[in-house]
Amino acid sequence: MLQFFVDVILRTVDLALIAVALSCVYSLIRFPNIALVQYATAGALIALGLQTLGLPLYLAIVLSCVITGLMAVVLSVLIFEKLLDTSPPLAMVGSLAVSMIFTAVFLVTVGPRPKRFDLEIMAPVRWAGVSITPMQLVSVGLTMGAILLFALLLFRTGLGRSMRATSTNRVLAEATGIPTRKVINGVIVLSGILAALGGISISLKGEMGAQLGFDLLLPIFAAAILGGLGNALGAALGAFTIALAETFVTNVNFGWVVSQDFYFLPASFATIVSFGLLVLILLFRPHGLLVSEVKRV
Amino acid sequence: MVDKILKITNVAKAFGAHQVLKDVTFSIGKGEIVGLLGPNGSGKSTLLSVISGFISANGGSVNFKGRELLGRPAHKVAHEGLIRTFQLPSMPSRMTPRELIASGARSKLGLSGVLSRAALDGVAVKAAIKRFALDPVADIPASSLSGGQKKLLSMAVALQGKPRLLCLDEPTAGVHPNLRHRMVEILRDVAAQGVTILIVEHDMHFVRGICDRCVVLDAGMIIADCEPDTLTENQRVVEAYLGKAKVGFAT
Amino acid sequence: MFDFLIHVSIMASLYAVLALSLNLQLGIAGLVNFGQILLFGAGAYGAAFAFSNQLGLAAGIGAGLALAVCVGLLFARLGRGLGGDYWGIATLAVAEACRMLLQTGGDLTGGAQGISGLPPLFEAGSRQDAALMTLGVCLAFLAAVYWLCRSLTHSRYGLSLKILREEPQLAVSLGYNPNALRTQVLVLSSMIAAVGGVIFAHYISFVGPDQIVAAETFLIWAMVIVGGVGNHFGVILGAVLMQFLFAFVPFAKDLLDMPSDYVAAMRLALVGGGLLIFLLWRPQGLVRERIGGGHRGG
Repeated sequence: MLQFFVDVILRTVDLALIAVALSCVYSLIRFPNIALVQYATAGALIALGLQTLGLPLYLAIVLSCVITGLMAVVLSVLIFEKLLDTSPPLAMVGSLAVSMIFTAVFLVTVGPRPKRFDLEIMAPVRWAGVSITPMQLVSVGLTMGAILLFALLLFRTGLGRSMRATSTNRVLAEATGIPTRKVINGVIVLSGILAALGGISISLKGEMGAQLGFDLLLPIFAAAILGGLGNALGAALGAFTIALAETFVTNVNFGWVVSQDFYFLPASFATIVSFGLLVLILLFRPHGLLVSEVKRV
Repeated sequence: MVDKILKITNVAKAFGAHQVLKDVTFSIGKGEIVGLLGPNGSGKSTLLSVISGFISANGGSVNFKGRELLGRPAHKVAHEGLIRTFQLPSMPSRMTPRELIASGARSKLGLSGVLSRAALDGVAVKAAIKRFALDPVADIPASSLSGGQKKLLSMAVALQGKPRLLCLDEPTAGVHPNLRHRMVEILRDVAAQGVTILIVEHDMHFVRGICDRCVVLDAGMIIADCEPDTLTENQRVVEAYLGKAKVGFAT
Repeated sequence: MFDFLIHVSIMASLYAVLALSLNLQLGIAGLVNFGQILLFGAGAYGAAFAFSNQLGLAAGIGAGLALAVCVGLLFARLGRGLGGDYWGIATLAVAEACRMLLQTGGDLTGGAQGISGLPPLFEAGSRQDAALMTLGVCLAFLAAVYWLCRSLTHSRYGLSLKILREEPQLAVSLGYNPNALRTQVLVLSSMIAAVGGVIFAHYISFVGPDQIVAAETFLIWAMVIVGGVGNHFGVILGAVLMQFLFAFVPFAKDLLDMPSDYVAAMRLALVGGGLLIFLLWRPQGLVRERIGGGHRGG
């Protein structure tokens, strides 16, 4: 039972940070950036590259986050802002195009086979019937820490206040003296960092590859939309919910349905479930479970 | 006694805690030109959107040609013959005024239109372009028109649908005085053909020049319903526009 | 070489049909559909299911159309009250979910291997003759779809779709029913894509979930954006161009002496790069939409 909970948490880690990044950016500029999942992969691969060059892991991680954050804002200024000005729906298509180019670059530089961080092989810890590796614990810790810091930033700092003001009403925020352009660019850097951390968290407990981004795209969108696209912390909750549904579906013994002792749904059903959830949410509560006010026409 | 084409009764609308429309009741007779006035924030545009089905109401009833409008989707309301314009008409960049006017016609809106030609060179479209002085800009992207021209265009498009009740949302805002004259002439013609007109307006001069009657809205309620000339004598109206403080001013 | 050219031409014309279908949705009605390949797949799988049950070509076409229309209606239902961005994601999610369901469907759907053995459309003399006749059918179908799309957009109905695309609020204020119009466009587009799927299924003789990956939708998008969104001839041009470039990639790889892995990456770069370049610098595409002049009434 506890193992089930651990599995849910581990899956949440896959989705949470990138979903928060997605929601955060959307809350400010109404732009669902599909390329964010690629930033996550980039963050992981850059960290791996830096470690291969000889840097200690923690330094590689920090540096990678900085690089990814900067890359995010450069791409935003050069490409996405321009597209958002011309036509918002095309901006999303543009982020899709950027995403494809990223994948192409990954395939060429790193190859189609997955890679791992150079880590000590450590035995899994067993406790109360639960098996978890130290790296998985680090992963979870990193994710939770990042979310906590982000929440503190959002609610306890001036920047966070500016972010919330800009996302509620940009024109009004501008009028009250908030430098919205700087705030937005700052948030984009932040989203890059969060995405990179997300990718690194995933890779610390497992592996990373060029396909990582696209495979996670829809579950992450599902998580963000479930929490209300634009509600950054809601996205974390959304990630938990999606993880819960996915783990439940694949861990429950459906043997009694097909008159067998054991019958478990294949792993791919997990994804089908999260997509199905996404479609259901969009059918009945497109603004997420947590948002009560309906803004769209 | 004039036939009532539009009967608004006890309409209320709140956005969250803010009660924009409290209890609006008035009616419009067939063929009348009625001005809907009121200071900013009084709820004029909201009322227009409620009547035309773009916003839901929290209470009351709107009776148009004997049928209840509240609760019906906006496109059905338009189909009944109540056509409205918008305060800030946003015009497409990939359509021309000619195409827009042609698309205003209320017939063959759906699949049945597959077998009809677009009638861009039709008599009705040509006449509308001429009437609203849009000849020089008829075939360029509609978004490149000036603000005033867009207002005229939106009126032209709305009229193509041969509405029974035309609701104009601040038709003269941003329009050059010369074009306003034209607008008054056109609206007089339109009214003469039996169309009822409701105009949400700020410009008292325009209102005096065309409206048979004025209804004044303040803080979500009707505070006056009279002829335009008697408005300035109405204490409540004056207070609504100028605030309760008695400041000395020349009429 | 000639056989290869015939093959590429068949594929190009089928993609052109899909591009016309997407163009109706995106270019004319303004619908951001990321599930386009599923409409095609519905047609292909419909033909395959009919074949598995020993039913003829007519049943295959019927089944394909029926399945595709169901998907189209689902997309339309999702579109009620869903803004462009959300709806695009929803269609992508449905398409991917269906692909995975087909993949894990086991005996019902053929699973990952799909369903094979579909008979060719023509039992002609030689393989090449059969291929040429298939090409003829594809080109004829393409011409018919092109004619249909043009007539549609030049009619009164075309105006309805355009005004819905450009200014939905204005359209509603004039009496247009947005949900009805969008549903109609989706149903029509899905039927067009489905017939393409049926032809494809019988040409390739097998149907499988790998044929309906999201990357295919993105390729069709690139064809439409590069070719000219809103212009029917433009998207056909875009389809032919992108398809021939795609087919050329393995030759380029050999020429430049690159590893085989690079083919996938080059194709991704082609699609992504094409999309991005045109979105940034020529969003109207190679052949721009004719504004205002396309309709001839009087």
